[in-house]
Amino acid sequence: MRRPGVLQGGAVLALLALGFGLVPLFYGNQSLLFSMMAYVALAQGLNVAYGFTGYLPFGYVGFFGAGAYGTALAITFLHWPAVPAVLGGGVLALIFGVVLAPLLRLSGAYFAIANLAASQVLYYVVANPNLTSVTQGPYGIKLTSVFAPNLSYAVLWVILLLATGAAVYLRTSRLGLALRAINQDPVSAEMAGVNLVRGRMVAWLLSALVAGLVGGVYGWHVSVFYPQSVFTLRISIFAIVFVLFGGAGTVIGPVVGAVLLYGLYDVIGISTPEYFQLIYGALIVGLVLFLPEGLASLARRRGWDVL
Amino acid sequence: MSSEPLLTVEGVVKRFGGMRALDGVGFTLEPGEILGLVGPNGSGKTTLINVISGVYRPEAGSVHFRGRNVAGMPAHRLARLGINRTFQVPRPFKEMTVRDNVRVAAVFGGGDRLDPDAVLERTGLAALAAREAGTLNTSQQKQLDLARALATDPRLLLVDEIGAGLNPEELGAMADRLLKLQEEGIALLVVEHLLDFLNRITPRVIVLSAGRGIFEGSLSDAAQDPQVVEAFIGG
Amino acid sequence: MGLLEYALIGGVLYGLFFALVGVGLNLIFGVMRMINLAHGDLIMLGAFGAYWVFHLWGLSPLFGIPLEVVGFIVVGMPLYYLVVPRLLHTRDPEMLSFILFFGLSQVIEASAVLGFGNNQRSVPTSTLGRGAVNILGQSFPPAWVVAAGVSVAAILALYAYLYHSRFGYATRAVMASREEALTAGINVHRISAVAFVAGFCLAGLAGVFAPYMLGAIDPNMGVDLTTVSFAIVVIGSLGDPLGTVIGGLVYGIAIMLMQTYLPSWSNLLPYFLLIVIVLIKPSGLLGRTVRHA
Repeated sequence: MRRPGVLQGGAVLALLALGFGLVPLFYGNQSLLFSMMAYVALAQGLNVAYGFTGYLPFGYVGFFGAGAYGTALAITFLHWPAVPAVLGGGVLALIFGVVLAPLLRLSGAYFAIANLAASQVLYYVVANPNLTSVTQGPYGIKLTSVFAPNLSYAVLWVILLLATGAAVYLRTSRLGLALRAINQDPVSAEMAGVNLVRGRMVAWLLSALVAGLVGGVYGWHVSVFYPQSVFTLRISIFAIVFVLFGGAGTVIGPVVGAVLLYGLYDVIGISTPEYFQLIYGALIVGLVLFLPEGLASLARRRGWDVL
Repeated sequence: MSSEPLLTVEGVVKRFGGMRALDGVGFTLEPGEILGLVGPNGSGKTTLINVISGVYRPEAGSVHFRGRNVAGMPAHRLARLGINRTFQVPRPFKEMTVRDNVRVAAVFGGGDRLDPDAVLERTGLAALAAREAGTLNTSQQKQLDLARALATDPRLLLVDEIGAGLNPEELGAMADRLLKLQEEGIALLVVEHLLDFLNRITPRVIVLSAGRGIFEGSLSDAAQDPQVVEAFIGG
Repeated sequence: MGLLEYALIGGVLYGLFFALVGVGLNLIFGVMRMINLAHGDLIMLGAFGAYWVFHLWGLSPLFGIPLEVVGFIVVGMPLYYLVVPRLLHTRDPEMLSFILFFGLSQVIEASAVLGFGNNQRSVPTSTLGRGAVNILGQSFPPAWVVAAGVSVAAILALYAYLYHSRFGYATRAVMASREEALTAGINVHRISAVAFVAGFCLAGLAGVFAPYMLGAIDPNMGVDLTTVSFAIVVIGSLGDPLGTVIGGLVYGIAIMLMQTYLPSWSNLLPYFLLIVIVLIKPSGLLGRTVRHA
C-alpha cells in the first residue's frame, strides 16, 4: 500500500548519502557540513518523538549530552576505541530515556517542561565540581587521543542514513501506522488493539538513541568539549524549530528544515546569533498561526503525497 | 458449542471520587445473543461499557469472558481476546484514510485475520475507502467505528448509542447490519435510548438505574414494571 | 544556628517574592489553560524597565511599575486578540499555544540582546532603602522586605479581585469551566484578555524586584525564570493562583537551605523539584487540577 512511500524514502536516503558524501570533496568547510548533518539527524530523531507520539521533548539535548559523555567515559575509563564508544554513548542515552519514560504519562505541555528540567538536572550533575573525578566537572573533556575528523565525519554520515532509514521505516510500516493512530486518538487506538505504552516507548527510545549516537560522534569529532556545549538548550531549540518549519511527522520535513535553517544560521547567525534567534522566533509564531504543519503541508495542499 | 455463557458480569462496582457510578451490576450473555441495555441518563450504561471494554478498572466484581476474568485488563488486550466496542461520539483517526482506520484494527486487534477491504464491504464503506476519516459525516463515522470494531474479529461487541443522530432509513440499515452480525455469531450488548430500534433487534433488555440493574426481561414487560417506570419518570 | 535561622527567614522573604514570580503564569493558565512560555522573558523586561528607569532618569526603580503596567496593557491587549482566538480553533491548542509562546519568548530575548547587549546589569540595593532590617534577630537588606511586602500586597489584591469583585467572580467561573461560563452568558474572551494582561503585569511587577532578589539581570535570564515559575506553580497548584504562595514558600526556603548547606548542588533544585512533583503529585500540594496523558 505504501509502495510510493518506500520509493520516496529511498530517494531521500540517496539524496542525503550523495549530498553529504560527495560535497566534502570540493567544499572545504567540513565543520559546517558536519554540524548540518548532525542537525538533520537530530531533527529526524526529534521528529520520531514529536511526529509520532505528539510529545515535544524540550530537553532533547539531554540525550545528546548523555551520548557525548557516555562516549567520553567509555574512551577515558574503559579504553574502548572510538566507534564502540560512540555506540556506548547511544546506549547511555537509551538508559536515560528509560529513566525518563514515566514522563510519558504526562500531558503535552507538562511533559515538555519536565523533560527540559530533566536535561538541566543531567547537565548540573555532570558539570558539578564534586564529580570532577568522573566527568571532569566544569573543566571539560579532552579526547585528543582518538581525534579523527574524517573518520568521525564518515561515522556521522552512517548514523544520519540509519536515522533517516528508521524514519522511513516508521512512516511506511505497521508500527508507524500504530503510532499515527496513537497520535490521532489514543483511546480508540487502544480499542483497535494497539499497545499504547509499548508504541510510545519504542518511538521515545528510538528518538533518544539517535540523539545519543549523534552526541557521541560529536564528542569524538570535536574531541574537546565542555558541559555547556553538549547540554545547551540551543540544540533542543534548533532541532525543534527545524522540525516545525519543515513539517513534523514527515521524513522530508526535518531534512528540509534543518538544511535550510541551519544554512541560514551559518550565514547570519554565527556572528550575530540574536538575529537568527529573532528570525526563528518570529518564524515559529508565524508557523503556529498560519502554517502549523510546516513546509511539508504546503506540498500536501497541492496534492503531493509527501512521505 | 459450550454451555458456558460468553460473558458473565458479577457485582461490578465503579467509583468516581465519592460517587458510585456502578453499584453491583451483574448479568450474563450467551454467544451470539443480543442484549439491550437501557436506563435513564446517568444510570451508568456507558460506565459499564467502559469497564467491560477495559477503559476503566472496577473497584470490585468480575467480568468473565470465555471463562476468564478480564476485569481491569487494558483495552488492547481485550481487543485481541475478542471484545470490542463503538463509541457514543465516534472517534475516528481523523487524518488517516478510512481504509487505514480499519487496517490498524485489523492488524493489531484482529491479528491480521481479516482483510480490511472485506470489512469495508461488509459495513458499506468500500466506496469511501480512500477518504480522510475526518471528512465523513456522523452516520458514516458511526459505520467506521463499527467497521474498526469488526476488523478485530470480535466475539463480543459493545454498541454505545449507535442509533443517535441517524434518520429512519439509516436506523433500518443499522438494525439489519446488527442482526447480520448476530447471524455471524457475534454477541452484542446494545446501549440504546431509541426503544423502537432496540425492539427490532432484541427481545431481551436489562434496565439500569443509579448504577444497579433493576430489571431483566422483555421490553414490553419492562414498560409495565413499576420500578422501571419510576426510574425513568421519577428521574 | 544563626545560619539556619537566616536561611529559614530569608527563605520566607525569598519565597514570597517567588510567589509573585509564579502567580502571573498560574493566572494565565488557570483562566486560559495555556502555558505562557514567554513568562520569564516578561519578568526580564520588567527587570530591565526598572534598570533603565534608574539609569536613564535617576528615579527610584519603583517608578518602573506604573510604566510597565501601562506598557503591558498597551501591548498585551492587542496581542491577546491577535493570537488567542486563532489558537483556540486549532487542532491542539495546548501544544500549539505552548510553541507559540515559546516563539514569542525567543523574539523577546533576541530583541533584548540586540537592544541591551548581552552584559549583566545590576541595580544598587540602596535604591530601596539603606541599612538593614532586623527580623527575629537576622538582618536582611530592606529591598528584600520591600519585595516580599509588595508580593504579599499583590497577591492580596488578586485575592480581593477574585473573591470580592463581580469580574473576579466571573473569572473564577471561567477557571472552573469555560463552556459553562459561556453558556451562563459570561464574556469569556474579555475575562481571558484581562487575565492575560494581568498575568503580564504581574510578571513585570516581579521583574522590577528581580535585580534586588537575584543580584544581576541579563537578557537571557528568562528561560530559567520560566522553569522555576513552572515548578513553583506546579508545587502549589496549577490553576489556583493563590496556591502559588505555597509553591513560592516551599521553593524559597528550599533554595535558601540548599545554598547554605549544599551550595554546589543548589542549581539543580528547581528542576529536581519540578520533576519530582510532576511525577508524584501533578495536582500540586493543594491538589486541584489534574492532568493525564
